[in-house]
This record gives sequence, structure tokens and C-alpha cells, in this order.
Amino acid sequence: MPDDERSPAERLVDHAAIDTLANELIPALMAKLGASGLGEIEVREGTWKVRLRRPADGTIAAHPGGRRVGERGRGAAGGAALGSGGAAARSVLTPVGPGRQAAGPDDGDERATGSAGEALADEGGGGRDPFRAIATSPAVGFYQPRPGIVPGSRVRTGDPIGAVDVLGVPTEVVAPADGVVGASLVEPGESVEYGQELIWVELLSSAPATDVPIEP
Amino acid sequence: MFQKILIANRGEIAVRVLRACRALGVDAAVVYSEADRDSLAVRLADEAICIGPADAKRSYLSAPAVISAAVVTGCDAIHPGYGFLSEDETFAEVVRAHGLTFIGPPPQILDRFASKEATRRLLGGYGLPTIPGSNGMIRDELHALEEAERIGYPIVIKPSAGGGGKGMRMVRSGRELEASIKVCRSEAKAAFGDDSLYLEKWLDDTRHVEVQVAVDRFGNGVHLGERDCSVQRRHQKILEEAPTPALSPAARSDLADRAIRAVVAAGYENVGTLEFLVDRDGDAHFIEINCRIQVEHPVTEMLTGIDLVATQIRIAAGEPLGFGQADIEVRGHAIEMRINAEDVDHDFRPSAGVVESYLAPGGPGVRMDSHLFSGYEVPPFYDSLLGKLIVWGRDRESAIGRARAALDELVVDGMVTNVPIHKALLRNDVFLEGRMTTNLLDRVGSAAFVAAAERR
Repeated sequence: MPDDERSPAERLVDHAAIDTLANELIPALMAKLGASGLGEIEVREGTWKVRLRRPADGTIAAHPGGRRVGERGRGAAGGAALGSGGAAARSVLTPVGPGRQAAGPDDGDERATGSAGEALADEGGGGRDPFRAIATSPAVGFYQPRPGIVPGSRVRTGDPIGAVDVLGVPTEVVAPADGVVGASLVEPGESVEYGQELIWVELLSSAPATDVPIEP
Repeated sequence: MFQKILIANRGEIAVRVLRACRALGVDAAVVYSEADRDSLAVRLADEAICIGPADAKRSYLSAPAVISAAVVTGCDAIHPGYGFLSEDETFAEVVRAHGLTFIGPPPQILDRFASKEATRRLLGGYGLPTIPGSNGMIRDELHALEEAERIGYPIVIKPSAGGGGKGMRMVRSGRELEASIKVCRSEAKAAFGDDSLYLEKWLDDTRHVEVQVAVDRFGNGVHLGERDCSVQRRHQKILEEAPTPALSPAARSDLADRAIRAVVAAGYENVGTLEFLVDRDGDAHFIEINCRIQVEHPVTEMLTGIDLVATQIRIAAGEPLGFGQADIEVRGHAIEMRINAEDVDHDFRPSAGVVESYLAPGGPGVRMDSHLFSGYEVPPFYDSLLGKLIVWGRDRESAIGRARAALDELVVDGMVTNVPIHKALLRNDVFLEGRMTTNLLDRVGSAAFVAAAERR
């Protein structure tokens, strides 16, 4: 954010930027966020940045293309021009997965950051949740939670939290992120398919886990 | 009959098996990989289960994933389709060990026919004319050279486990033989996980003719006539038809009779196909048996009216065949054209993408077996077969006329397909006169073949 030692010229630039943001960019971003199924969109212009984040319950809008559970990443694909005028006209929306650098052009002024669970979590409506991630099934079989893993258990990324029994051979289900074990979507002993969502992990920090500035 | 069948395949054959299950009134569940989530089989099925990622090794080729899917969905039988696990005797054995039925020959019979070379000797012993070849697998170069000398060049080196031309080489001299063995071994190892090779006499200008058989658990066997699959590109079948123009009615009937007698005597069970090479003199030589439903099975269905997939399921369920040889009537002529996502102008490079618009042809005697629909995204991970266009006519000429009309009606927008090769074939004199041999396309090159047809 600009500090208090701004020159009058800088103030003018800032006010012009605020006007552009308020009148053009933010409405365009809201529409884009609603339509995209992304968890969050962040735009930077000069020294400013604006971030829109979908509420945790994903109520802004359902992803219109969402058909089936597990259809991940489709809605986030592709670029889109935003707003009008100024630097904002040249823009690319780039989905960013956890632990992955933006794959889009480096000179883009606007970026969409995926939530922690982008590659893992996708609620039925297609909204991504910045506050929790979900462990999915690594195989077809019968799910069993790991003994001692209960809602409230602290886990780290990669910790075994359950297993899917494939013809008598257990395949580990691992925590997709550091956090606290939350609600389970399947009962112990229930049959599951590959990729099925099994158990929530509430992220530890109050901020989303991937709320890391991505430097152009 | 089974309670519920797991369909362990994808593409058009998954749809085909699903239709057979519905016709029989049996429940079915379809497996799919993440890449096939939006496939037609998944859309049509009452139940579908994701078994793994796009990589077939972790989905359609994974025996644990497939069998676990059957257990999870409460199926008591697995239909493997063709390709993938369909001829894997170990898979069939593991399926049985889990109390399920493999829809195909029982594991011990698959095992008996697993080696092509041993099968050739087995069925040769039951009166089938076989192609001269090595006695057993070749042990080393010296053994190969001795056997080749005995058989006489040219020779074809073949992998015992293979199919589709992989690991195969034709050699004309001992020097070429020595140079090729290592390459064939590594190709066979990579493609089939088995590098055993055998030798066979190479016959020039052969026709590929195969006999469809069905044998139930009680030893009742019938043949359902033959199919001519001579139109090939690099050992891949492109167009199949029946009856074969290569043989007289008497020779066709004789070949089919000998085939069914031999497989019944050898204890075969379920549907199967015996492949023969027919030489310039019209003599047929047995080369191998395919213990599964074949891609080109609709040709026979069009001629006989018998649902081969339903028959396969009924036999696996232990039912008697229910009809005899006298009940089978072969009527008219049928042609199947494989519609592949291949670019004829670029060495038949496979293509993938979105089918923007799809329209199947129709009219009398026209059948399209396909998993396409408008908006379907063809994934790049699997084979290039988009569908099979099958036509039937009272005779070969009328079937060819319907084939041309149906091809013109077919719309597959957004994809590059091999339709030009079929249009070229249907204008080619050698094909029209029924004189094609397996080298029809490769002799001149497929691109030159298409170009020549377009100049006419």
C-alpha cells in the first residue's frame, strides 16, 4: 500500500487508479470470479493490488460448467480479457495450483491464485475453498480411516490419515495439506472410487495456504 | 445368468457391451479412467466407477483396479472387451480367484492357447492347415538360422505374445535375420512384456481370412462364417468384409468346417476367431487364434443376425449355445470401415481434440458402432478408433454402394479422420474387383493410394 510520503503527483496517479479499480476492474473481476469457479482472483497494477476471494461456503455462484464431482480445473482453464482501458485491458487469467508457479505470461498484470485445494478440492458446485483442502481416494476399494485420526487431529501434508483397501491390500490416503482433520464425507468401510473426496483438512493458518505473493 | 456385469473397457466396445447387457436384461457397471469421465459409455450406463488416472497402466490395464471395481459394485462377472486385459490369462485367473467370472474362455483354456506357436502345433494336430514355421521358440541366433534354413526364406519373425504387427519383421536372408532378432526381442519385450520369438514362412501377396467360432461349455460348437480382413495398413486392419471374395463358396465352407472341428477337438470354449493367410493358390494357412470378441465382429452379426457379444456372455454364464450349425444362415454381404482419428496426409498420425459436430449415417443396412457425440473430447491417451461404420447389402456391389453413401453422410467435425482412405478404397479397382491382398496399401504407401484415387 502507498505510504503517507506520497507526492501530489503520486496521489493523483493513485486516485486515478482507485477510480479505475472501483468503476471498471472490480465489477469485471466479480463477474469473472462468479463465472470461473476460482477461489480467488488477485489483480496488481503498479503498486496496487486487489484480491477478491470467494466466501468459504462458496455462495457467490455455482460453476456453470460443473457436472460431476471431481471435474477439477476445467473452469479455471484459459485466459480472459478483463475490463477496459489502461493496463487492465492486457490481461491473462492464469490458474495457479499449489506449489506450482504461474504458467502464464510473466508480464501479465493480473493473476488468479487458486486456493490451497485447487488441485484437490472442488465442492459439488465447483467452488474452491481457500480454508480447507480435501483428501481424495487413491484407488477403488473400501475406505478405512487411520486409527487415531479423528476430527481435530493435527496433520501435515503427506501424513497417512486413512487407507483404501484394494482386494485386501491397503493403499494410503494422505493429508493434502498441513491442517486439522475435519469432517469425513464417507463412512468407515464404505466403498469408494478413484479420486472420490474422502475427508476435509481445515488449513492451519487463518490465511489461505497459498496466499503467497507470486512475483512477476 | 449373471446378476451384474462389470464392463472393463472404454470407447465403442464399452458401449457395445453395455447394449448387449441391456438386451439380455443384465445390470451393468462401466469402469472409466479420469480421462473418460464424460464418455458415452459413462453417460449411458446406470452405474459407472472411476478406477484410475488417464494412464491405462493404472486404470484399464490394472488388474487390481478392475477387479476391485467389480467387488465394490457388486458385479459377478467382468467383460474385458478387446485389447487391455482381454487375453491376459493371469488376469482371468485372478478374476476367478476372487469368485468372479471372466467373460471369455476360462483361464486354463486361455492358457492353453496363449502361445501362438504352440497353438499352431496344437490345432495343426487336429487337422488345420498351418503355415510352416519354427519348432518352438527360437533359442538363439544359431537356432534361428538353422530353423530358417529348414523353412526357407523369406521368413517372418513373430513375437509369441503379440499382435498388431509390433515386434514383427520380414527377413529375406540369414544376414537380415541375425540383424533383426535383437530389435524384435526388444520391441516384443516393450509391447507385451515377453520377448519370446518364433519364425514363420513369409508368403507374398496373401489374403487375411478369419473364421468366427462359438463353442459352449458342453462342446457344442458352430462357426459363423468367415471375414476377409485383407485391407490393412502396416498390419493394422482398416476395412473388413464378409463373405471373402478370395474363396469360392465351397472353399469357404470347407475352411470354416475344419476350423470349428479343430477348436472343438482342442477343447476351446466361448467365442473366438481363427486367423488364416490365404496364398496365391487359394490355400489357407492357420496363423493364430484370438480368444476374445474382435473389433470386426459386427460384420458377422450383420450376416447372421446373431449377437456375438450376448452369445459370449451367455456361454460364460454356462448356458448352452441354443442353436446349431443348421440354424445359422449367412445372408448377403457386409463391410466394416474403421473410422480412426488419423491424419492420412501426415503418415496416419493420431489426432485428438473436440468433436464439434457428429452425425452418424443411417438408412437400410447401415450400422454405426461409435462412442462419439457432438462436443465429445477425444482424449489423447488411447487408441485412435472413433467408431465402426458397418453396411449390409444383398450382394457385394450393393454393400459397396451403401458404404459410399454412408461415408458421405458421416459427419465428424473438429477431428481429422481416416475417411479419405475408405473413400479411396471404394474407388480402387483392385478392391472393387475383390483382388486385394494385405499389401494393397503398403505397397504404394497409403498417402499415394489416396492421392491416386483422388486423381480419378
